[in-house]
This record gives sequence, C-alpha cells and structure tokens, in this order.
Amino acid sequence: MKIKHLLISALCLFIAAGTVSCGKQEKVTTITVASDATWPPMEMINKDKKIEGYAIDFFNAVGKEAGIKFEFKNTAWDGIFAGLAAGKYDMVVSSVTITDKRKKTMDFSEPYFESGQALVVMKSSTAKSIADLKGKKVGAQIGTTGAFEVKKNNGVTLKTYDEVGLAFEDMAAGRIDGVVCDTPVAANYALQKAEYKNKFIIAVNIPTKEFYGAAFPKGKKELLEKVNKGIQAVKAKGIDKELVKKWIGTK
Amino acid sequence: MDLEKNKTIKDGAINVGDGAAIPSKQDRGLFNAWRVAFFGAIGTILYLVIAKPDPYLSILKFLPDGILVTFQVTVEAILLALVIGLFAGLGRISRNPFINGLSSLYVEVIRGIPLLVQLFYIYFALGRIVNVPAIASAVIAMAICYGAYMAEIVRAGIESIPKGQMEAARSLGLSHAQAMRHVILPQAIKNILPPIGNEFVALLKDSSLVSILAVSDLLRRGREFASESFNYFETYTMVALMYLLITLILSKLISIMEERLSVKSR
Repeated sequence: MKIKHLLISALCLFIAAGTVSCGKQEKVTTITVASDATWPPMEMINKDKKIEGYAIDFFNAVGKEAGIKFEFKNTAWDGIFAGLAAGKYDMVVSSVTITDKRKKTMDFSEPYFESGQALVVMKSSTAKSIADLKGKKVGAQIGTTGAFEVKKNNGVTLKTYDEVGLAFEDMAAGRIDGVVCDTPVAANYALQKAEYKNKFIIAVNIPTKEFYGAAFPKGKKELLEKVNKGIQAVKAKGIDKELVKKWIGTK
Repeated sequence: MDLEKNKTIKDGAINVGDGAAIPSKQDRGLFNAWRVAFFGAIGTILYLVIAKPDPYLSILKFLPDGILVTFQVTVEAILLALVIGLFAGLGRISRNPFINGLSSLYVEVIRGIPLLVQLFYIYFALGRIVNVPAIASAVIAMAICYGAYMAEIVRAGIESIPKGQMEAARSLGLSHAQAMRHVILPQAIKNILPPIGNEFVALLKDSSLVSILAVSDLLRRGREFASESFNYFETYTMVALMYLLITLILSKLISIMEERLSVKSR
C-alpha cells in the first residue's frame, strides 16, 4: 500500500511540475521548431550534437526581432509534415520549398531563401542533365522537390532515401548515377566535403526558382504574422547576406 | 539430454510468437482468429477502396511493385539464409575445433547485433569493397543475419535425431558424411521445417527494414506516396493491411505444408 501511495504522489508531483513548466514556457513564448538536420549547410548537426546552419542562425535572428525563442528539434524529414499537422511542434524550418501542393495542407511564412535544384554526378560521368541519365538510377531525399524533379523525367529511375547523405554515399559506392538536391546542399557535398570533393561534380544547376519558407499548421495566423515581421526585419538589416557569406560562401 | 533437445524443437513449433499465429485444424480458436483477421483485412481494404477511392484506390495502385520487391527480397534472402544456415549449423556440431569455433563465432556475433544496424553496416561496408546493386546488398545482409538463426535451428534439428540413428547407420558401413546426408538430415529436415516456416514469416516482416536502404519495397512505396500526398494515416493503414494479408496467407500456406508433412510420415 505504501508503495502505491508513494507512486501516486510521485505521479502527482510530475504532473504538477509539468503544468508549472508549461505555464512558464508560455510567458517567454518558446516555439518548438522541427528541423531535419541532415541538410548541410542549411540545417545540420555539429560536433557538439547541436543543430546549426544557415536556417538556424537566420531564425534565431528572426526570433530576436519578433520576441520569440525558437527551440529547434531534430526531426526525420519523412513524416515531418504529419507531425506538424498533429501538433507535435509549432513550426517546420527545414529548407521547405513553398509549393502549391504543400500550401493545401499547411501555411507558409514569407520566403527566406531562394534555391534551385542541382544534379550531382561522379566526375567520370558525362551527363549534363537529368534526362541524360535515362535508364539509370538517380537518388534524392524522399518527398523533396529534388525527388519531384527527377520524377518529371521519364525513363529515369528515382531512388528515394531517408537522408540525402545516404544518397551521396550510395553514389560513391557506384549504386546510383546521380543525386538531385537543393543547390546549397549540392555545393556542400560536391565542393566542400573532403571525402567527396574529389569524386563528385555538379553536372548542372536547374534554375527551378524555388523559395524556402517556414511551415505552420493551417490557421496559426498570429504566430505566422509575428514570424513574417521578423523575417522582414532581418532582411532589412541585411543579416541574411552576412549569413550567406558565413555558411554558403560566394556562389 | 536428447529429450531436452527434442523439447526445444517442439517449443520451436509451438512458439509461434514471431510469425503470425499459424492455425491448425485442431486449434479452432486460432483458426477462427485467422479467419477473422484475413476476411477482416480483405473486407477493410475493399470497403476503403470503394467508399473512399481518393486516396485509397490511388494508394492501392501505387503499391504493387513494392509488394513484388518485398517478395523478391524475402524469397531470395530466405533461400540464401537456408544455405548459410545449413553450413553454419553443421559447423556448430562439427568436431573440428576450427570449423566449430568459426560457426559459433558467426552465430554469436550476428545474433548480438540488431538487424537494422547490420543492414546499414553490410550495405555500406559492401559498397566500399564491391559494387553490388541495392537489392542484392539488402538480400545479402538479410541472409547473413537470418543465416545465424537458421544455423541454430539446423543444429537443434540435427541434435534432435536420436544418437542411435547415427550409430546404426555407421555400423551398416556408411561414413559419417554419408550417414549425415542419407539418414540424419532427411529426418532432421522434417523437424526443422516448422521453425523455418516461422522464420520465413518473420523475415518477410523484417524485410520492411530494407526500405531504409532505398530499396523500393512495400513500405518504401508507401512512404513515397505519403510524403508526396501527405495522406500519412491512409497510406500506412493500407500498408499495414497489405502486410497483414501477406503474412496471413503465408502462415496459412506453411500450416498446410506442415499438415501434409505430418500426414506423410504416418
């Protein structure tokens, strides 16, 4: 009996502690942000197991302007939007391209970065476009605009990966013939990563003119407006240009 | 000693926790559960597809090639695992200390590493050494893992045959290898088949893990559909029902096979 009482009181304590900390969080307006930190240099995990990258710096600056504290949570890309709809976090910042199809299920902030798609191939390859890889396999991360871009090419087999890094490793192993992903990520893997930069080249930049936005569940107008104002302020101050220099370098 | 080992084999046949519950005619309760699950799954799929063709019909149309890949990986992996398991299992009872030690080490190492980790390891380690296509790597990884479990089944199966059988065969002038091939193994196989059937069903379900290696199996196809349409709930409902249907059919087939075997032996 005693143990039972103890357990119950411990449980009560836990619940009480939970509600108190929740109350505190609301005062400082901490917003939980999901991010798939496998997308260097936009979002990635550093050696201290912290999420860092262009988007993290950018949104921390946005938070300062808007009076919000963002708490980034590493979340697998596949299912990241399902978690958003289920209310597991308030916002997704994970190099999400604003597309009409996605707009049907979620709201987007103003764009904070312009990107395109790039095809990365082995140095020995002669391919100059995705269509050149007819009858071959091209990899992309599952559910990304890169994967959609590959799908547009008939005769090219799309292989989807959970993380774009796995696709690059598979190409290095010779299992696939190309990888399509966002331009800054392609540049990071093909030009900067020590183990890949002698193996890969960017075959072509596909100017898809796509824009990254922060994604919100439908109907979170108040938060969306706050973030939008923050984005405008950060852009007005030119912080975004500094961050491009810091994380992406000259194009 | 022999009695005890016989018991493990029997436990293997009764212990169907890994696969779907394999129904037998004597067990009416299980048989009914199988029926309810089977017709329930078919009924649910039909209902969903007819009542809500968008998105369920498009999901159903998207999955078939994934089901084929799942079957391909399962069948190829189980065949390869059987071969590996047979040799490793024979190695486990070998009197040659080197072969015995090697097989035991293989079994211990493989059984101590989670399948998902092994898949990653073998897939990317293989990639560093030889250029093997994705599906082949996945099959090899699954086979190496399941081979270790098969080896234990084979070992237990052989040890379940009474010693007198070997002694009798040897005294008739057969060599050890001949006695093994013509007397012990044929009898052991009958004991081994039920647990192997279980492994087959278990492997089919575990084959969903290879989707992590960008092999376009049933689960991967489902994930691809969901990630583009955002119909996560609907897609995974369909994928789960598909797996259920396949494992139910498989376990039924295995139980039919087992019944035939037991009839033959009488």
